[in-house]
Amino acid sequence: MSERARSERKLAWMLCAPAVIAMLLVTAYPIIYAVVLSVQALDLRFPDEGGFVGIDNYVTVLTSPLWWQTVGNTVFITVVSVSIELVLGMIIALIMHRAIFGRGLVRTSVLIPYGIVTVVAAFAWFYAFDPETGFVNALPFVAEDMAWFGDRFSALSVIIAAEVWKTTPFMALLLLAGLTTIDEGLYEAAKMDGANAVQRFFRITLPLMKPAILVALLFRTLDAFRVFDSIFVMTAGSQGTESVSILGYNQLISRLNLGLGSAVSVLIFVLVLLIALAFVKGFGTSVPGREEEE
Amino acid sequence: MCRGETPHRPIAAFLLAAAVAALVACGGDGEGGSRELTWFIQSQPGGALEEIAATCEEQSGGRYTIGFELLPSDASQAREQLVRRLGAEDDTIDLIGMDIIWTGEFANAGWILPVPDQIRPAVTENVFDTVLETASFEGEMVNVPIWSNTQLLWYREDLVPEPPRTWDEMIAMAQELGPQGTIQLQANRYEGLMVWANYMIESAGTTILQAPEEIGLEQDPTELALSTMGRVSRSSAAATDITTSTEDSARLGFESGESAFMINYPFVFPSAQENAPDIFENLAATQLPRVDPSIESAPPIGGINLGVSAFSDSPELSFEAIECLVSAENQLQVAEIEGLPPVRSDLYDRPELQEVYPGFADQIRSSIEDAAPRPSGSAAYQDISLAVQRAIHPTTDIDPADPTPTYERLVDRVEQAIERRGLL
Amino acid sequence: MQRGTREYTLWSIGLLIVVLFALVPVLWLLMLSFKTPDTVSDGSFIPNAWTLENYTGLFEGGFESPLLRPLINSIVIALVATTIAIALASFTAYAIARLDFPGKGAILGGALAIAMFPPISTVGPLFDMWRTLGLYDTYAGLIIPYLTFALPLAIYTLVAFFREIPWDLEQAAQVDGATPLQAFRKVILPLAAPGVFTAAILVFIFAWNDFVFAISLTSSDASRTVPAALAFFTGESTFTSPTGNIAAAAMLVTIPIIIFVLIFQRRIVAGLTSGAVKG
Repeated sequence: MSERARSERKLAWMLCAPAVIAMLLVTAYPIIYAVVLSVQALDLRFPDEGGFVGIDNYVTVLTSPLWWQTVGNTVFITVVSVSIELVLGMIIALIMHRAIFGRGLVRTSVLIPYGIVTVVAAFAWFYAFDPETGFVNALPFVAEDMAWFGDRFSALSVIIAAEVWKTTPFMALLLLAGLTTIDEGLYEAAKMDGANAVQRFFRITLPLMKPAILVALLFRTLDAFRVFDSIFVMTAGSQGTESVSILGYNQLISRLNLGLGSAVSVLIFVLVLLIALAFVKGFGTSVPGREEEE
Repeated sequence: MCRGETPHRPIAAFLLAAAVAALVACGGDGEGGSRELTWFIQSQPGGALEEIAATCEEQSGGRYTIGFELLPSDASQAREQLVRRLGAEDDTIDLIGMDIIWTGEFANAGWILPVPDQIRPAVTENVFDTVLETASFEGEMVNVPIWSNTQLLWYREDLVPEPPRTWDEMIAMAQELGPQGTIQLQANRYEGLMVWANYMIESAGTTILQAPEEIGLEQDPTELALSTMGRVSRSSAAATDITTSTEDSARLGFESGESAFMINYPFVFPSAQENAPDIFENLAATQLPRVDPSIESAPPIGGINLGVSAFSDSPELSFEAIECLVSAENQLQVAEIEGLPPVRSDLYDRPELQEVYPGFADQIRSSIEDAAPRPSGSAAYQDISLAVQRAIHPTTDIDPADPTPTYERLVDRVEQAIERRGLL
Repeated sequence: MQRGTREYTLWSIGLLIVVLFALVPVLWLLMLSFKTPDTVSDGSFIPNAWTLENYTGLFEGGFESPLLRPLINSIVIALVATTIAIALASFTAYAIARLDFPGKGAILGGALAIAMFPPISTVGPLFDMWRTLGLYDTYAGLIIPYLTFALPLAIYTLVAFFREIPWDLEQAAQVDGATPLQAFRKVILPLAAPGVFTAAILVFIFAWNDFVFAISLTSSDASRTVPAALAFFTGESTFTSPTGNIAAAAMLVTIPIIIFVLIFQRRIVAGLTSGAVKG
């Protein structure tokens, strides 16, 4: 290896070192630490008790109906909200892409939900649907005394609506980026061949956008999976609306049961890992970052 | 660390962290003269706490000053903040304004100090027994009560000429009144539901815990309480948002004229006066109704006790400050400004208090006297409360004709919680 | 022109729906923030009685007021986290875009993994570490996790931008007699600035937005940020929820973001899309 290549390498590593160390310090180390905590009976409120308990905490979590209910809720929220976002995001992306006029207006207005603090968005939706302060129950076709947060399904619906509202713009922008990479000539050629708009969308747009769609889905799925803020503000987990993040927070922060809470944390991490792996399989070779290996 | 320099502390701490030096003496600690005691407490909107703190600073002749760190108004969130700090053995806390239900948990963890013998006579004089019960852990006094609170049955005299004595009567009256006759209470899944459940269970003649580590919950009375809760929740007498109802949603519902009854704390009185004058004209209060007609009702009790952090640098001075803060005159001041009921029973005869609670000061006194505290003497109270909330929420799911499944779930959850097993 | 008119109408309707969808919740919050306490539960979208009290109440008491301190905390924490994250990310992105070294793929892959990492999984251990290190409830205690979780976003955005920079110009300038520093300052910096700026906006929005760390790793006004403080406002009494104040404070933290978004919308769009497509 030449002297130059070696020094270039050294420089590169030095430049990357601070960021890598920071990322390891705040993610890798805590996860290892969480594994260590999760095999102990550690409750800060009972400082005299403690010690190694093996997989007891994991058994407690995995045999608890509550854990499976929260996993079910989280998956439900994720699947429903990401599906709706994909459809809405695609429509908004197409509108922005095929703008006759008002492109700037659409872009500006959809960026507002993106920029808004999630907690603020959650409060806006909560107050809108709350029977005491809200305006939704005063709308036509809505029962005046509908208690939106009093029932599991309706509470989850409002939570999902708030999530969709907040994150569709992000989805739309990612999809728009994919749309702009498609060669216009293809559409012209298809038009010549007599393909109508619907056919063009399914035959050209969708297949060519597969990578962009997968990237957008991956990011949003994992983002939706950590849903916390909206639930915390709107129901605090009552009516069986807890997500895995809320469950973890309750064990760790409300109960200070670091052992049990860490077991929940580790299990959430494993779930996220599984989802990511599933997507990587779906990507095939087009994983972001993989091209760098060559 | 770095006391008295609060605004700079975060920045200083950051610089230190950047240098990977976690602990450095900051110096500048108040030499002799005046010590600053830091009081962590849920803020009160009227400013009474600041006033009584100023009074005590003056009386101390400048030996201490009191600085405030305000906690969230939501009790559960306030607890989370404190518990995390104390769990981190934070030495910036001196005085703690503790919700009366935190006693067992904090004392057991060794986060608060026992009350010294010298000040005990002064701070317990004329204090309600039920209140004192909330201030001790394993027979030792670890807290000093400063104010109390209790729930009354608020009703509209224009709709209800004679207030109900039992839940059966109340439900029947409410159903007869129709849409404007609903009953407002607290049944969302939060501490308020535990408050309601404890009152119902105690008023049916049993108790959740008979000793800090021992379950009570005799079957027959518990099932009576549960079936009453299920019956009211499912009936047309319940507000439509009953499963998410809180103190404030109850107040708003009552003020909007859709209810004839409300179980709530006295804060609703000044609020109605300001926000709903028409309803205020007919507002009256009485003792909470009975569950078992042959047993006196056992109303809930709330309020704040003061504790001294085990990590405080100045415990003696802190207790001295507490002795001053809870004086009779200061309690009156808090009552006058914030409307919070004193813990000394003798104060209820004072004209000032009659003015704060026109016509119902005696109701409050007897409600506190008869109250049944939640089992806050248990170190696992937090877990027990969460377990109860989870077992019975939503109360609309309790079958009044057959409350046994709910009863079994309740017993099961509470037993688990005592041993602190399981997810919550 | 039949088709033109129809398309025009359809387009207008689509546009209107999208704009309404995006704006109604924000407008609702704005309206709510102007309602008086006795009309807050009247169920009307537009206030029947208007007041500014909800806003003025937030700043009563100056430094001790409910919002001022958290607002300062939020601004300082987000700015510091952004600055550090951008500095670290620039080094890394420069190395990845320009230099040849093994481990490039690992760094990008690792960054991607962190972008997907569930923050709740680190909250417990971080809480435990911070309490031993004395970082609990300090600015640093929030800045460190924010900058780390923002690094992947910043790195990906910057790599995409840096790849577009014609780095040969630097050498050309040096050939023309400029010192390396001058070449960097006069040639490369202006070219890199837009990308850096874009990444900075995205990181700032991220840090400004966080809630999980903010409520778990703080416990007083010493470091509590606005999203966490919103949940802690006090009403008329212990049991009254301060709906109007929360709405007003929510609007106040939203307005800077809206202004930001309006001014820099092109950059934000470019930043969000560049990383995903070219990454």
